[in-house]
This record gives sequence, C-alpha cells and structure tokens, in this order.
Amino acid sequence: MIEHYLQAFATVLLPQNILAMCLGGLWGLLAGALPGISTSMGVVLLLSFTYTLSPITAFCMLVAAYCGGITGGSITSILFGIPGEPSSVPTVIEGHSLAKQGHAAYALWVFLICSIYGGIFSVIVMMAATPLIAAFALRFGPPEFFALTVLGLSVVSSLSGKSMVKGFLSCFFGLFLATIGTDGITGGERFTFDTTILLGGVSFVVAMVGLLAISEIFIEAEEPFKEFKGSVKYKSMRDEMPPLSLFKSQWANLIRSPIIGTVVGALPGAGATIAAFLAYGTTARMSKNPEKFGKGAVDGLMSAECANNASTGGSMTILLSLGLPGSNTTAMMIAAFMIHGLQPGPLLLSTRPDIVYGIFVAMLMSNLFLLVLTAFVGIRLFLELNRLPYSIFSAVIMILCVIGAFGLANSTDDLYLMFIFGLVGYAMMKFDIPVAPAILALVLGDMAELALRRSLLLSMGDPMILISSPISIVLLLGAVISIVYPLIKKPKILQGG
Amino acid sequence: MKRAEITAGAVCVVFFSFMLIQGLDLIKLKRFGDVGSGFWPVISLVVCLGLSIAWLIMTVVESRKAAVQPAAARTPAEVAATWDRRRKVGLSMLCLFLYIVVMPWIGFVLSTLLFVFAFAVSLGERRKWVLAVSPFLVTAMIVAVFAKFITIPFPRGVGVFAAFSRLFYQ
Repeated sequence: MIEHYLQAFATVLLPQNILAMCLGGLWGLLAGALPGISTSMGVVLLLSFTYTLSPITAFCMLVAAYCGGITGGSITSILFGIPGEPSSVPTVIEGHSLAKQGHAAYALWVFLICSIYGGIFSVIVMMAATPLIAAFALRFGPPEFFALTVLGLSVVSSLSGKSMVKGFLSCFFGLFLATIGTDGITGGERFTFDTTILLGGVSFVVAMVGLLAISEIFIEAEEPFKEFKGSVKYKSMRDEMPPLSLFKSQWANLIRSPIIGTVVGALPGAGATIAAFLAYGTTARMSKNPEKFGKGAVDGLMSAECANNASTGGSMTILLSLGLPGSNTTAMMIAAFMIHGLQPGPLLLSTRPDIVYGIFVAMLMSNLFLLVLTAFVGIRLFLELNRLPYSIFSAVIMILCVIGAFGLANSTDDLYLMFIFGLVGYAMMKFDIPVAPAILALVLGDMAELALRRSLLLSMGDPMILISSPISIVLLLGAVISIVYPLIKKPKILQGG
Repeated sequence: MKRAEITAGAVCVVFFSFMLIQGLDLIKLKRFGDVGSGFWPVISLVVCLGLSIAWLIMTVVESRKAAVQPAAARTPAEVAATWDRRRKVGLSMLCLFLYIVVMPWIGFVLSTLLFVFAFAVSLGERRKWVLAVSPFLVTAMIVAVFAKFITIPFPRGVGVFAAFSRLFYQ
C-alpha cells in the first residue's frame, strides 16, 4: 500500500497534474460560486476538457473541480449573500450576517480554514475506508449487485422534493432511458426506431448536459439580467485573521461536524446539502448561545463549512468502492470513468490501483491547493466577475455544453439529442419534476437490469436468488427503509423541494 | 399553469402508452432462462404510465379545486412580463437549435460567432460594445482552447465555409 501511495504522490505532483488541479480547482470555485451553475454542471462542462488528457490528469482536474465547487459556493454566500450551492444556505445565514457586521474577512477566513479541514478529514477517512469496503464488495455476485443498485435507486424518495409521484416518475423515466439501444444480453435493438443515433444507447454525458445544464440556462433565460447585487465592504484577508483560541474553543464542533459530513456524504442521495444542514442544526441545538444563530454565529458557520466539504470524501468513498453515485456530481464522475475506459467499483482497486490511489492523493492535494487558490485568487476573481454580463456568460456555458456533447463522439447527432434533453429538462423543471432521480436512474438502470437478468439466468428463472444471501437481504432491507423513511418522516429541509 | 400541467400530464400518458406498445413487442426477444429484452423496459413503462395517470388526475383535481375560488385578474403589466419571459426562452431555444443545425454547413467558427451575438441579443443584451466585442473574443478563446490546444475536430462547413474554417484549424 505504501508503494501505491508513493507512486501516486510522484504522479500527482507532476507539473501537468498540478496545473490540472489548479485549473480544475479554479473552475470548480467559479462554478460553485455562481448561481445557476451547480458543482455537477461545472464537472459536466469540464468533461469536454478531459477527453484527450491521460486518465490521472483528467481525474486530478475533475476531483479538484468537485472539491472547488463545494468550497466556491460559500464565497458568494459570504460576500454577496447569494448561495452558489444549496449547501451554502447556512453559510449565507451566518457568514453573510458576519460580513454585514463588517467582518467579511473574518468570515472568509473561518469558512476557508473549516472547508479545507473538512475536506482533508474526509479524504483521510476515504483513504482508510475505500479498500476495506471494496474488499468486502468483491464477494458480491449478480444478486448482490442487483440489491446494491436497488439501494442506490432507493434514494429517489429523498430526491423527490415536494411530490413523490413526480420523483418516482422521473426515476422510472430514467430507467426507461437506460434501456434504449442494443440489449447487452440478447443483442436486440430496443426503442431505436431503426435509427443509428440510438443504437449505442443514450449517452450519460449527452443526457446530463441536456437535462442539467441546457435546461438550467433556459430557466435562467426567463430572468432579466443575472446581475450580482453589490458585495459587502471588503478590503484584505489580512484584516481579520481569526485567533487560534477560536478553533480551540470549538474542538468538539470541529470533530463532530466533519464526521456528520463524511457519513451523510457516503449515504446515496444525501449529499452536501443535508450534511451542511444536519451539522448546522446539531451545532445550534448544542450551542450555549443558540440565540446568536441567524445573526452571525461563527460556530454555525464552522459546522456547516466542515460538513459540506467533508461530504465529498464520503461520496467518493462509495463511488470508488461500490461504483454507486451518491449525488449528481459523483454520477458525472461515473461518466468520466467510462470516458476513460474505466469502471468504478470494487474491482477498480485491484485492476487500476494507480487511478484509485491517484484520486486519493489528488483530492488531498486539491484541498491544499484550494486553500491557496481561494485566499489569493478566488476571492478577488469573484469580485471582478461581478462585472461580467450574464448574457455573454450564458452563451459561453451553452457553447461549452455543445462542445461537451459533440466531443464525446465527434458527432452532431449527439447535439440534437442534447437539445431534446435540454427541452425535456426545462419542461421537468417548469412542472417541478426533479431531474436528479432521472439522472441517477439513467446511470444505474443498465447496471440494475444486467444484474437482475444475470441473477435470473443463474437461477434458471427463480426470483428467490435475489434474497438468497444475507448481503442481498441487508441491502434490500436498506433500500426499503431508504424509500419508506422519507415518506414517513420527511426532513424539513427537503420539504421545500 | 394548471392547464399547461394537465397538457404535460396528458402528453406523458400518450408517450408512455406508445412506448409501452413498442416495448410489448420486445418481450418475445429472449434467450433460454432469460426474462427477455422487454421485461425491464415494460416494467419501467408500466410504472411510468401509472405515475403519469396519477399526476394527471391529481392535477385535474387540484385545478377543479382552484376553479371554485375566484382568481385575481392579472394586470396588463403581469401579462406583458409573462410574454416577455416566454419570448426570451423561445428565442434562446431557437438560437441553440439553429446553432446545431447550421454548424455542419457553415463550420464551428462562424456558427459560434453568430450564436454568441444572437444568444446575447435574445437574452436582452443591448449594450453595443458588449455585442460588438464579445462574439469575437469568446470565439477566439474557444477556438484557441478546444480546436488548437485540445484538437477537437469541429465541423468545418462546406465549400467556401470549409476554406474559411481551415484558416483557423485543420
């Protein structure tokens, strides 16, 4: 294991990989910070840059963008009071309140230190947990894999927003989309209507670009001009460096919040938003001064920032060890793995340890680079970007979407598919149908179907094989609980959609 | 909005019904011991159809409840704002569609140049310096990064447009 880490450090610290992490980190900060561009959208747009890169350089760029996206959401939250990401809402509440009181630099320091600390904490957990979970998952056969994909799909009830009917409709629509193309077992064509465009199936990247990014720009097009409101008064980061005693006094918070973030991040479908709110809520309940919450409570800011960044390591652990995407962004990562001819999951650690350990080290280094990038470049950059006309910015995003879809197979047919998915995504958003379940189902649908059919082939059609092992039973029970629990007790933070 | 949602629900019912009929033909396509190519899509489509019907019924019921209560009349300003929003979205969709359609004919460089201008105008951009400078700047940056550096083989167009595209990338 030590030699894998040494080799990974040697590879990741090559100049081209450091450059990739810096560019990816900056792009992630930008994507996370700007409302209308989510972290997942930022990662999708970045995919087109990685087509010709080596796999490790591509993942250096993508994981830096992922970590940067989660971090970046908080900069505009503190300076402008605009949450770049839903997970930054607690940061707006506390961080922007501090900024309005004239302590913007102080809030930025606290956010920065806690974000990076939370990120590094979760990477260390990821390094320890991934090999253990992957080794366990090697015992999985088709029935266990089917149960695992059902568990992955079960998060749809958490992602459904206000209406379960619409959430499940989106999920089953995604499952249907995953069946389009050539059947992997019989070789027959399904729903291709004798065209060649659909013969290879619906590409993840094309569907994701359309459903997530294009539709979002159409939604944004309804607004007048996307102009940022003026930022609070801010001079220099040197103005208000927080004392060490602040972090000493918050030691329990600094242990509890990243643990919450990592564990919640590892739960499929939970992600950074729930992690941030859960840690923030827990800190508020345990605080000696709960009346300060909502008016610039620094402990609330610390807990939210630790937890939302820690969720990245948790999500990546499950992706690398089980091949399950826990969130939209990790679903994009699956697309990145496939573009580079890799399959995330338990076998990846033994077949391509260079990639897995490279990702560990890249995430660790990305968090460190982000500290420097945010402090010295990021904050100034966002103050300048405030002057950019949103119309041109949207046009650039649209072109990046087109390049992302075209560059996959150098085919204009994919552009038409992307456009159709853009329209479908726009309609879904207009009618409050969540897009995330469709994407999750599109990613997992093919895997689930193949696992189910292989299981039934093994048992000569006996469905009892699906519950023949304790692992399958536990996973399926987990799926049932995951579906039923939110129906019984839906968290308040999700009720808003 | 409820009328639009009812229409969307009805479209879903029709779409999933059509796909289900197509899917039923796939059931016979199978190997020995296999459930067949149609099993999974048919299950997905049956559930989709059921959920679409449920959505449609729920929307109709809600709209009937809403119809009982008198709705406040919309002001001309509100109506104009709604039409302005729809016009902007429609234009931005049209811009993207035309961009995709003309790209293979006139090449990536020219189509991108025109797209940036048209898209910015469709979103309401009226500042002359932004409209004059941005298309050239954005196209130059995109071509430099993606065509020159990453060497993505973008469409060159046909005839004279192909010759024009070759001035920038091969």
